[in-house]
Amino acid sequence: MRRVLIFSSPNPITPQLSTPPTPPVNAVFPIRNCRWIGPSTSFQPPVLRLHNYQRTPTPLLCSATDSVTNQTKMASQDEQDPRISKISSVIRVIPNFPKPGILFQDITTLLLDTKAFRDTIDLFVERYREKDISVVAGIEARGFIFGPPIALAIGAKFVPLRKPNKLPGEVISEEYSLEYGTDKIEMHVGAMQAGERALIIDDLVATGGTLCAAIRLLERVGVHVVECACVIELPELKGRERLGDTPLFVLVSSA
Amino acid sequence: MFAGDQNGLQGDPRLKAISEAIRVVPHFPKPGIMFQDITTLLLDHKAFKDAVDIFVDRYRDMDISVVAGVEARGFMFGPSIALAIGAKFVPLRKPRKLPGEVISEAYVLEYGTDCLEMHVGAVQPGERALVIDDLVATGGTLCAAIRLLERVGAQVVECACVVGLREVKGQHRLNGKPLYILVEPRQLTNCSAPSVNGVAVNGVETCRHNDLYLSAT
Repeated sequence: MRRVLIFSSPNPITPQLSTPPTPPVNAVFPIRNCRWIGPSTSFQPPVLRLHNYQRTPTPLLCSATDSVTNQTKMASQDEQDPRISKISSVIRVIPNFPKPGILFQDITTLLLDTKAFRDTIDLFVERYREKDISVVAGIEARGFIFGPPIALAIGAKFVPLRKPNKLPGEVISEEYSLEYGTDKIEMHVGAMQAGERALIIDDLVATGGTLCAAIRLLERVGVHVVECACVIELPELKGRERLGDTPLFVLVSSA
Repeated sequence: MFAGDQNGLQGDPRLKAISEAIRVVPHFPKPGIMFQDITTLLLDHKAFKDAVDIFVDRYRDMDISVVAGVEARGFMFGPSIALAIGAKFVPLRKPRKLPGEVISEAYVLEYGTDCLEMHVGAVQPGERALVIDDLVATGGTLCAAIRLLERVGAQVVECACVVGLREVKGQHRLNGKPLYILVEPRQLTNCSAPSVNGVAVNGVETCRHNDLYLSAT
């Protein structure tokens, strides 16, 4: 599935990338209170749209409208929740992964910060508890990290949406387009019942292709997808628009 | 060691419910293998919560600072345990999934080898770690996980799994690290399949097959 920023370069000739300087050995990885600083300004991303290349994702006011309920006012929507800037700051950006030109948003560093990880889950749980959500569907594999703690906290079941041939027994599949070719996600037959209210979770939304496939899967069995929730959004890739009527809630926007 | 062997958890009804919530899928991924499918456990909110609670109760006072979960089903249990005991969660992944600098550990499969990777710098020397996966069969993957953590100087306190055989063939291959398992695998009655997730089992337990999904497999 797509978790990375996909560039379409206007320049047909692949530009030569300057090699980013090697980070110091003892600071390859952010440690508590210390963040690995990405490559120096000599790094030139090959696409103009990254002219405002940032080391740190921009913290975002929770941008989804409160479509889950009209009554409850969410504290995190009224102003910048103080927890969000910390969450944003501990997400690591890895340039040129999985291939040159892509800035990979690495949430594993968030998982190393016990308070920030706890806050991430709390922000989702605060939004979705007591909203009659009976299913949390998580997209393989990083959706499996955030989905189950949320499901446990709000009293919902957790359903993994997986790559082909991983789930045993009877499954339904949904195909979706990639930049080159297609991919598929699968869900167990019978895991959800028609009429259930569901949340779909993943670590990041880019083009929205995977989330759309997930929405289609759930809707095929008659489930109502209340919202899609991700830690990070890459707004330039317009995943939010691609989701159509299904609302999207994110904690951090990486422009 | 099995959770149900311990004084505090003997006869604990939660263990029975956890066991019964796990679905057995015969002949997956290939003929002869009885696949222990924990996704049905995840559909049972109470049983899922109980499984996590049993692990949390065991590990919360053991000064564990790292929970390492093996991709991908270890990701379904590990983070909840980590959050509850105040530890960080470290994913151990298949090759080329983790961005940035990694260390790799190869391990042997029935045919060929596979590899597990961990981020450099995720775990510091001297940290006390727990390794989590849904199921232990031969112990090959868990051993690779232990080696990864020990290579960076961490101390693996225990490996924990939801399902495992009472006589894990490869138990000695866990390098002396203790193994904690919630429940034993179940079998279908009248089934001639000789193995559980690829590991031969002697004798057939009498247990029933719950049709836990609306559609039969």
